[in-house]
Amino acid sequence: MRVRLPVALLCVAVAAVAAGPALGQAQKGADSDKAMKSVPAKPAAAKATAGSVNAPSAAPHPNGKKGGVLLAMHREDLAQGFSIHETATIATVWPGMPCFNNLVMFDPFKQVESLDSVVPELAERWSWQDNYRNLVLFLRKGVKWHDGTPFTAKDVKYTFDMVRQAPDAQTRLRINPRKDWYANVESIEAADPHTVIFHLKRPQPSLLMMLASGYSPVYPAHVPVNDFRGKCVGTGPYKLKEWKKGEYIEFARNPDYWVPGRPYLDGIRYLIIKERGTRFAALQAGRLDISFPGEATKPIADQLKSSGAKLNFTLIGTNVNDNLIMNIKKPPFDNVKVRRAISLAVDRRAYAKAVHQGGAVAGASMQPKPYGFWGLLEKDLGRLPGYGKPEDNKAQARKILAEAGYGPGKPLQVEMGTRAIALYVDFASFVINELKQVGVEATLKQVETAQWHPLVTRREYQMGANLTGLGIDDPDGNFYENYACGSPRNYTDYCDEQVMKMIETQSQELDLKKRRPLVAQIQNKLEEDAARPIMGWRTDYFPMAPHVKNLVPHHNIYNYGRMQEVWLDK
Amino acid sequence: MADRAVVDTGLEMVRPAPPVTGGAWTIVVRFARKKPLGAIGGVLLLVTLVAAIFAEPLATHDPIATDAFHTLARPGADHWLGSDHLGRDIYSRIVHGSRVSLIVGVVSTLLGSVLGGMIGLLSAYFGGKTDLITQRFLDILQGLPLLVLALVMSAALGPAVHNVIIAISIPIIPRAARVIRASVLSIREMQYIEAARALGVRHLRTAFRHILPNTMGPFIVLATAQLGSAILVEATLSFLGLGVPEPYPSWGRMLSVSASEYAQKAPWLVLFPGIAISLAVFASNLLGDALRDTLDPRLRGA
Repeated sequence: MRVRLPVALLCVAVAAVAAGPALGQAQKGADSDKAMKSVPAKPAAAKATAGSVNAPSAAPHPNGKKGGVLLAMHREDLAQGFSIHETATIATVWPGMPCFNNLVMFDPFKQVESLDSVVPELAERWSWQDNYRNLVLFLRKGVKWHDGTPFTAKDVKYTFDMVRQAPDAQTRLRINPRKDWYANVESIEAADPHTVIFHLKRPQPSLLMMLASGYSPVYPAHVPVNDFRGKCVGTGPYKLKEWKKGEYIEFARNPDYWVPGRPYLDGIRYLIIKERGTRFAALQAGRLDISFPGEATKPIADQLKSSGAKLNFTLIGTNVNDNLIMNIKKPPFDNVKVRRAISLAVDRRAYAKAVHQGGAVAGASMQPKPYGFWGLLEKDLGRLPGYGKPEDNKAQARKILAEAGYGPGKPLQVEMGTRAIALYVDFASFVINELKQVGVEATLKQVETAQWHPLVTRREYQMGANLTGLGIDDPDGNFYENYACGSPRNYTDYCDEQVMKMIETQSQELDLKKRRPLVAQIQNKLEEDAARPIMGWRTDYFPMAPHVKNLVPHHNIYNYGRMQEVWLDK
Repeated sequence: MADRAVVDTGLEMVRPAPPVTGGAWTIVVRFARKKPLGAIGGVLLLVTLVAAIFAEPLATHDPIATDAFHTLARPGADHWLGSDHLGRDIYSRIVHGSRVSLIVGVVSTLLGSVLGGMIGLLSAYFGGKTDLITQRFLDILQGLPLLVLALVMSAALGPAVHNVIIAISIPIIPRAARVIRASVLSIREMQYIEAARALGVRHLRTAFRHILPNTMGPFIVLATAQLGSAILVEATLSFLGLGVPEPYPSWGRMLSVSASEYAQKAPWLVLFPGIAISLAVFASNLLGDALRDTLDPRLRGA
C-alpha cells in the first residue's frame, strides 16, 4: 500500500507493470496490452491504477536440494476433506495448501503480511483500474490441473462466483464461511482464457489480501465441489497420493508443476496425532520434521528447549485472538455499560501471563505489532478498558455495575460457555475469577467442539470465551466478518451504524496514511463498546528440525503451507 | 418379631452377622485390632470426610482465585503444595476437591446400591417372570462396562455434579442388584421366612422386614467397595472434561490436559491430585476388604 502509485494517475491502460517472477520462476508475459483491450473502455479521464507487482523476496536458502519427504505434524483428521472453501479451520488449510494455488499469495519468505507482500501465483500480474473498482488479473499460461486439464479463466470465475454465491454460480458450497469477504464483488468476468476481471461495487484495495489468503485457492470448474471432501485436484506443487483417515495424508511431487524445478521435496506426509503431548514427543524424538501452526505454545516450546531436542524455534504471531463474546440481543448485555464493566474487569496483561504463560500479547481487534500491521500502539492500548491499572479498572467496573443496578445484594449472574478444550477452559476460568472480583457471579458451561459454533451462530448463549482466527491481517477481512451488522460470524450481534460507516470508509481509502488512523478509530470504538473484548493475541514458537530449509512461518497460521520452496538439507 | 419366634424353636438358621456386644468405640477398637489395614483405610476416609466438611477453614486460598504473578509456584510457605499454571493454590484445590470427590462418590454409591438393592430384593423375592425380565434388563446394563456407561451418560446429560452422580450410580445398579439378589435367593428359602409366610405376613413386609436386614452385610461390603470405584470414575470423567465443570476443583480435573502439559516443568500439578485420588481409592478398598472379611460369615476367622 505504501508504495502504490498515486490514485490520481490518468491512464487508459496499464503500463509498465513490473512483471513479477512467480516464486522464482516467472513467466514474463507480453499480453498485458491484449488483455487490457478486453476491459471495458473507459473515458479518458477515468482513473486507472497500475498495480506494481511484487516479486517474492529472496529465499533464505536459495540452493535447494531435491528429494526427501517432509514429515509434518497434524492434529486431527480432515472434517471437510480438502475443501478449503468450506472450512474455517487451519486443520484443513494446512494439509490442503500444497495441493492448490491461489491467484496471488503472500510472499512465502516474509513473516509480516501486507499488501506489499502479495506476490503473483496463478495470476502472473495484476492491475487495478478505474480507481480500484476493477481488478484485472493476467493468468499464467501452460498451467494444468493434476488431472491434465488446462487451467483457464473459467476456473477462476467458477471458484469465486461459487464463494460469493453469485446468482449465476454453477454450484453452491455446503458451508460457506467466507462469503462476506467478497460482498463487494459485483461480477467476475472471464475476459479471455487468461484474463479475469473482478468488478467491484466500490473501491476495495483489500480484495488482493483476501485473494492471497490460504483460504482462497482456485478450484477446477470440471471437478464437482463435493469431490474435494475425499480427494484433491489442484494445480499445486503436490498431488494427493493417499489419505488414510485418522492416520496420515500423503502428497507426492507434481511432476508437471508450472514452476520449473519446484517443488524440491519428493513428498509430504502429514501424520495425524490427536494427543498434543504425543505430537510434540514425536517432534522431539525426530519422528516429525515440523510442528503444526499455532500449536507450539510457550510452555511446550520451553519444554522442548529444555529437553535438548535439536529444533529451531521461530516466535510468530498467529493472527488468532482470544475474545469474550456477549449476546447483545439479550439482557444484561444489551446494556453497553454492563459490557464495558465486564471488559474493564479483566486484566489483559495478567491474562497473557497466566493463561498463556507469556505466550500471548495484548492487543485490540487487529493483531498488534510487531506481528501485525494494523494493531494499536502500546500507548493507545493503555487508554482502553482492561489495559490500564487493574485496581482502577476493577473499581470502575464495580461502579458501573452499581449504576446498572448490580451489587453485593444483587450480583450480576451470568453463564459463560466455552469449548471443552483445556486452553478454552483455562481462559474461561481466569475470566470467571476476574469477574468474581467485581461482584459478577459467572458459572461455566462447557460445550463440545462440534456444538460450539452452531450454538453461537444460533446465538444460544449469554456469554462465551471464544477464539477467532483471522485469515488475513487486514481490516476488511476482520471487520466485515466479525463486527458488521448481520454477519453470521458476528456472534455478539453488535451493530452500530457509525461503526459500519467507519468500516466502509476505511475499506475504500486508498491512502494508507489516511486509512491507518481510521482503522485505529474503529478499534478504539469497538473496545469502548465492548463489542467483543479482546483478551490477547496468541503467539506460536513453531519448532522445526534444523534440516528443514525455506519454511518461513508467517505471523498468520493460515498462509504459509504451500511448501513449494521447502527443501531438506539431509 | 416372627423370626425370633422361629429361632427360639431351635430350628437351624444362619445368622449373617456376629453378635455385637459393647459400645461403638469398643467395636471400632476391636475392628482396628483385628483388621489394621481396614482401620487405616477408615482413618484415611475419615480424613477425606473432615477435609470435605471443613474445606473452607482448612484451605489457605480461594480455590478458584487465579494469580498471574505466582503461576507454577513450587511447594513452599505461600503455597504448601505449589500453584498451578493459573496461579491457583494446589493444596486449597485438593481440599475443596475432596468435597466433590466424596459427595459424588458417596451419593452415587448410595443411590446405585440402594436402587440396585431394591431391584435385587424384589426380583429374587417374587421370582418367576418378574425375576426373569428384571435379570435380562440387568444383563443388558451389566454388559456395558461401568466407565463406558458413565461416559455415555455424562456426555448425554452434560457436565454437572448431579449429572455425574446419576452417570456413576446407574452402572452400580446391576452390580448391587446381583449381589443382593443372590443373598435374598438363599434367605427366602430359610425356614423363618416360610414361617413368616405361614403366619400370613404380607409379601412386602416379609421382604423389607425379614429379608432385607439380613442382606446388610453384603450390602455394606458392596457399597464400600463401590465407593472407591465411584471416586475413580468421577476422577476419570473430570479428567475427560465430563465431570464437575471448571473452575471448581475436582481431583480428576486437576490431572487434566493442562496439568499434563506442565507436568515436566511443574510435577506437583499432577503429583498431589494423583496421590489424593490414589489414597481415597486405596482407603475405600482397604475398608471394603476388611468389612467383607468381618461381615461375611464364610470368611470370618479366615
